[in-house]
Amino acid sequence: MKSLEIRNLQKTYFDPYAGTKVTAVQDVSLDIREGEFVSVVGPSGCGKTTILNMVAGFLPATGGEIRVGGRPVKGPGADRGVVFQSFALFPWKTVLDNVGFGPKMRGVPKAERDRIAREYLALAGLSHAADRYPNELSGGMQQRVGVVRALANDPDVLLMDEPFASVDAQTRMTLQEELTRIWQEKQHTVLFITHDVGEAVFLADRVVVLSKGRVMRDIPVTLPRPRVWDEVTEDEDFKRLSAEVLHMVRAA
Amino acid sequence: MATAELGAARLGPSRAMRRVVGAVTFLLPLLCLFLLWPVVTTAFDVNPRVFPGVGMVWAALVESVRDGSLFAHIGASLGRVLVGTALGILVAVPLGIAMGVSSGISTFLTPLFRFFSVLAGIAWIPIATLWFGYGFGAITFVIFNAVFFIVTYNTLLGVSAIPMRLRHAAASLGAGRRAMLTEVLLPGALPNIVTGIRTGLGFAWRGLIAAEMIATNVGLGYMLFVARDFYRTEVIVLGMIVIGALWLLIDRLLLAPLERATIERWGLVTRS
Ligand SMILES: Nc1ncnc2c1ncn2[C@@H]1O[C@H](COP(=O)(O)OP(=O)(O)OP(=O)(O)O)[C@@H](O)[C@H]1O
Ligand SMILES: [Mg+2]
Repeated sequence: MKSLEIRNLQKTYFDPYAGTKVTAVQDVSLDIREGEFVSVVGPSGCGKTTILNMVAGFLPATGGEIRVGGRPVKGPGADRGVVFQSFALFPWKTVLDNVGFGPKMRGVPKAERDRIAREYLALAGLSHAADRYPNELSGGMQQRVGVVRALANDPDVLLMDEPFASVDAQTRMTLQEELTRIWQEKQHTVLFITHDVGEAVFLADRVVVLSKGRVMRDIPVTLPRPRVWDEVTEDEDFKRLSAEVLHMVRAA
Repeated sequence: MATAELGAARLGPSRAMRRVVGAVTFLLPLLCLFLLWPVVTTAFDVNPRVFPGVGMVWAALVESVRDGSLFAHIGASLGRVLVGTALGILVAVPLGIAMGVSSGISTFLTPLFRFFSVLAGIAWIPIATLWFGYGFGAITFVIFNAVFFIVTYNTLLGVSAIPMRLRHAAASLGAGRRAMLTEVLLPGALPNIVTGIRTGLGFAWRGLIAAEMIATNVGLGYMLFVARDFYRTEVIVLGMIVIGALWLLIDRLLLAPLERATIERWGLVTRS
């Protein structure tokens, strides 16, 4: 696994229609240790997706620096797995081939990558959907495939942009528990973006609150692991932390 | 697995049924026209120099099959279409992809390709005969031309319509330039490419018949044109039926299923 360092990151968009500049990210510094799980919360439009896109290498920064494992980010790469807010599944590939895509790019033979893909699909309760095409799945199922596809490529850093936004509450809880379990086993370095304060606290080692393109607060979460909702919901620390974070997000 | 098979079994018969119904609704009007024909020609006692009776056309068919001339014409026409189309696709797809990846280039070239798509086929015949003389070259050029502009334009459209996030997703899963081409750009643009081929071939087929009337001595268009000189209306009508039927066969049995397979299966909607 690798660490992720973000130093004085800045992004200014140019809006060609209005002819004005929009500064989405003012000045963000954030260090994520190897194997650490960090949640980023903040109101809509505060620059969360923009930061993630720069870390993924999809978008050039207008200032600052991003290092993964000590090396500056120069573009997209398989060391950083991305789960997209809008799934981004390949419509022309079956679920199995979508999940096996990363291994295929690494040159893993067909039989082996199918085995890997099936294993991960089973984790997300999607075994029955392996041979279907993405458009034949519900939104929630597509989102799970998106998560599983990133996991199956076993990246050093996982970048997740509201990956559970379009699943129902029950499924979301199951997936959150699944994710912490897989993360504990594989120890990916995770940057997890969400609107959901409870989710942010439940999953993370640290919660970063973002406001208007700046880091407002950085709060450690010391809840014991493994975490399961039945226990965490009742936990006083969880309640206190969630209330605190929620308060800050609303003030942001 | 079990549910997927169940689903397929449930869809199976209804899909086959729909296909049969589709074929019947398509063929019925044609059949009606065919039945109406002898009724009209006998009832109004139509002069065969104006329009032939069914029997005469049938005799023309039997004769041209027996002496092999019909197959020679069909073979020549299909051969030209095959060569022109294959060349057109081979050049158009890579070019369309190269143009589509850069949004600047595609924005600039789109109006040009739209313009030339309108001109596709027939309008190029005069200049084609000047450049290539009469014969295979000029006719193949007309077909190539019809296919080339429309397929390039559609490929370009298809590639630029691939959401950026899919290219990002592929890149972050480790896809290099080559894999990006074969795994994302080509399959992503395929529904548009197929639609382009279907439209382009439609233009090419019309262009072919027109070009063959002018620029050659074998082929379906030539068959029509020569028959006119001898007032052989039954040969002209036979030729027209063959031209129409061949196109419908190619379109319905080859191109439409191909288009359906990509667009329906992937849930993609494309416009040409
Ligand atoms: N391509 C772009 N061009 C111009 N401005 C943009 C662009 N993308 C984002 N922005 C602006 O940058 C700001 C941050 O956007 P971003 O998508 O990073 O927000 P976010 O925190 O992810 O929001 P959400 O929670 O709604 O997903 C917004 O004001 C947005 O309007
Ligand atoms: Mg966002």
